Amino acid sequence: MTEKKKSKKKRVLIEFKDVCKKYDQGDNVFYALKDANLTINEGEMVVILGPSGAGKSTLLNLLGGMDSASSGHIWFDGADLTTFSDNQLTAYRAKNVGVVFQFYNLIPTLTAYENVALMKDIKDDTTDPKEALAAVGLAEHMHQFPSQMSGGEQQRTSIARAVAKNPKLLLCDEPTGALDTDTGREVIKLLQEMSREKKRTVVMVTHNSFFADIADTVIRVKNGAIQSIVHNDAPSDASEISW
Amino acid sequence: MLIRKMWRDLLKNKTQFISIFLMSMLGMGVFVGIDSESSGGAAAAEAYYKQYNLSDIWIQGAGFTDEDVRTAGKVTGVKNVEKRLALTGTSVDYDNAYMYINFMNSNEINKLMLYEGDPYDEEEQGVWLEEWFARNNRISVGDTFSIKIDSIQIDAVVRGIIDAPDYVYYVSEEDMMYPNYNKCGLAFMSSEMYPDPSNIIYNQLIIDVRDDMSDDDTIDTIKERLEKAFDREDIAVTDRDQNLSYATFDAEVRQHKAMGLIFAVIFLAIALLGIVTTMARVTASQRTIIGTMKALGFSKARITFHYVSYGFVISALGCITGGWVGYMTLPPWILGMFVGSYLIPDLKGSITALDVTATVTAIIISTLVSFLSCRKELKDPPAVTLKPPAPKKVRHSAFEKSRLWLMLDFSTQWNIRDVFRNKLRSLMGIMGVVGCSMLLVCGFGCFDSVNGLVDKLYGELMTAKNKIVLSKDADYDYAYDLCSDYKGQMIQETSVEFVSDKVKKSGSATIVDKGNYIHIQDKDLNPVMLNRSGIAMTSKMAGLLDLKEGDFVKWHVVGDDKWQYTRIVQIYRDPSVQGITMRRQVFEDLEYDFSPTSILTNISVPGDLVDKDEVSSVLNIANMKAAFNETMEIMNSMVYVMVVAAVLLGMVVLYNLGVLSFVEKTREVATLKVLGFKSSKIRNILQKQNIWLTVIGICFGLYSGWGMLYIICTTVSDTLDMFPIITLPTYIYSIGGTFLVSITVNFMFSGKVKTIDMVDALKGVE
Repeated sequence: MTEKKKSKKKRVLIEFKDVCKKYDQGDNVFYALKDANLTINEGEMVVILGPSGAGKSTLLNLLGGMDSASSGHIWFDGADLTTFSDNQLTAYRAKNVGVVFQFYNLIPTLTAYENVALMKDIKDDTTDPKEALAAVGLAEHMHQFPSQMSGGEQQRTSIARAVAKNPKLLLCDEPTGALDTDTGREVIKLLQEMSREKKRTVVMVTHNSFFADIADTVIRVKNGAIQSIVHNDAPSDASEISW
Repeated sequence: MLIRKMWRDLLKNKTQFISIFLMSMLGMGVFVGIDSESSGGAAAAEAYYKQYNLSDIWIQGAGFTDEDVRTAGKVTGVKNVEKRLALTGTSVDYDNAYMYINFMNSNEINKLMLYEGDPYDEEEQGVWLEEWFARNNRISVGDTFSIKIDSIQIDAVVRGIIDAPDYVYYVSEEDMMYPNYNKCGLAFMSSEMYPDPSNIIYNQLIIDVRDDMSDDDTIDTIKERLEKAFDREDIAVTDRDQNLSYATFDAEVRQHKAMGLIFAVIFLAIALLGIVTTMARVTASQRTIIGTMKALGFSKARITFHYVSYGFVISALGCITGGWVGYMTLPPWILGMFVGSYLIPDLKGSITALDVTATVTAIIISTLVSFLSCRKELKDPPAVTLKPPAPKKVRHSAFEKSRLWLMLDFSTQWNIRDVFRNKLRSLMGIMGVVGCSMLLVCGFGCFDSVNGLVDKLYGELMTAKNKIVLSKDADYDYAYDLCSDYKGQMIQETSVEFVSDKVKKSGSATIVDKGNYIHIQDKDLNPVMLNRSGIAMTSKMAGLLDLKEGDFVKWHVVGDDKWQYTRIVQIYRDPSVQGITMRRQVFEDLEYDFSPTSILTNISVPGDLVDKDEVSSVLNIANMKAAFNETMEIMNSMVYVMVVAAVLLGMVVLYNLGVLSFVEKTREVATLKVLGFKSSKIRNILQKQNIWLTVIGICFGLYSGWGMLYIICTTVSDTLDMFPIITLPTYIYSIGGTFLVSITVNFMFSGKVKTIDMVDALKGVE
């Protein structure tokens, strides 16, 4: 682990201390993540890079309170997630985390509008679904069902759903994985805006190293271990990159 | 929003949910329908009995006087006593209708319900007639009505049209058990109308017990006290349960309740199985959605509630709709058929607390079941649920390792694995077939059993073509001469009363003279000769008295105070008359006079014979048989309900199953297609499994159908000993019908094999 440059003074949102996630498989123990240490500052755009099976999804799941660590500590805003009960984790997800999935994971029997409006069921201070959808450029397609929309539109709906909750942390799991280059760039641009303009902490998992350029911080993961954490003082604009 | 999701999901899986809806609707519909019908019927009867003060205890005997009325009245617990003379006779006009005639000098108990004319008054001359009889024979108030009791004729002016609470059901000798109120009527008259009022001999006391009975005063204890108070051997003290009118209606209502319950249990069990399979499938197919919802921050309780609400909403809709529809349709229909069988006013269905409880319980159980079946997908953390499920562990059974397995062809192997890997689905399929074939066997079996009963009664046990019923005017010599003329057989039929350690039962005794028209059959329905010494008892009566062959029974002829203590030398079965049969010699050895009541003959009898004073009526067996069949309306409609329910049940369950398994097998079928299997070949593979399950289901179904028929036959009533009979055609129809339903439904699905788009089906999930 090397830290090339010191970042500007910012508030720490997340801290990992010796976090392990292991699975018992009969006689041998498999480590999906081993002794991970990292900090993520508020408002940062973080990209977690690594090949498949490296442990990046595990990292994301732990960040989002969707899975629990086997050992170590994870602090979010000063609270230790590893001490949370199931219900506390659920409340944490509902209040603080927005997730954008690779395959969008919209509810197929609800329209774009309804998918976003669903968030009202779990949190009080949500953005109006219409506004959230307009912000991702979907004002026109609000009443379509997921099956009637293109992949990019679905992913934008998914982003609208994630940000409608006004979460402190926006987690994106290969958000462009199922999209073509142009559509993917649009989505990345949207995520970057969320970070730069709305000052949200965005953590994106990808195996695509081109995305390293747009991040404030790049965390590289391999074989369940963090290889490097690099801070980028002058990230590129999403529109500039191509792959 | 989740509510919207639920409705759209329900719509998306409409076949399954509609089948659950239909099953719960049918189940609750039949249950609530029949329960509200029988409860309503019972309540109407109860209200009628209460308002018109139906007697609680009857004492039959001879020569009751005012002194006896006072004796009975002094017994603790007795509120009121009246005496009556109950006789039978015929009307002079109106096709010599059979008449039950009651002479009485007061009417506080078994009060007459007035439809038209003047209320009953013992001071008034005239006759009060039963409403149905009067209406259908166009007899009005003011007409003159003539009754013949043996050789005496009474002409009276009709004063009122009435009904009586102690006669809600009665039959003439000709009608056997199904009443025909056009040809059998009731007449009530003041004792003053009796030809010789000063010498009237009352033969019945009717007793009303106190309403505020203490704990020690039960009907049974009051009966015992009455017996002690009279201390006479020639009387019979009976209560409502032994009263034909009361007991018949009571048994009818109870039988309906039992049948309704059987139906409901079958349908609701299948609805529950439907909920289990469907909910498990819905939640399994929504695994990723569940994971997403968790990731978004929905709590486990919230998600559970959401999925449980599917089962709740559907079963609630089904049960409540079913209950309502059942209540609206079945009571009017079935109670409508009671008109003409039971003379009870204001018959209408009524919802009971039980109906509401049953509906609520069914909904709760369905909800619980859907909770249990979707729990599986909810226990893991979202990181796990978001991923597709781990493939099912495939284990080889011992059978799959045997050599026999290798000898089976691919389709058999494939199907065996498929059945065992989807046990619940297979079980549900079998249950559907079981239900279908069971109801068919039971339904058709009811027809068989009734036909068997008629054939047995008039074809095997009594083989004469005509029965000449003698009146009291016919002495022995007259009977003997008539019998010789018609080359007949004389029999005497009389009422007797049996007493065992605990119970007292009324029955009938048949005394047969030389001849060949009366036959008996043993317990296993084999024809046997009537023993030359001792008496033979019906197995039903022996069962009621807890007696067996070789035991002694204490009995006496009603109206005669001489008690007999006789050995039962034979047990025989009789479907309609319960009691004893003996030869004339045996009867005479007991020092009774043989006085024939009818003559059986195969020679045709001229119509004018009935005009003779000594002849009361002539019964033609063919007509009796036809009349019997015609009056089976209630039974028939029950059978229709069963057959329709069977077909519906089979269709709905198998269709649901078809959709379920077809969706699950789509990928496998598409793979087979890609591999080059012809559609017709694949259809055969799918049909094979269906046939196996159908065959297994039918085997169980035939057996349980017989069981259900047995229950129905044996619980009919005290007096009817019905044999469950299932004929070969019934088996053939039931098996054929079940197969037809099963194969038709399966064909609808296997036809879809052709339409499966290989490319589409094999594409990745979402």
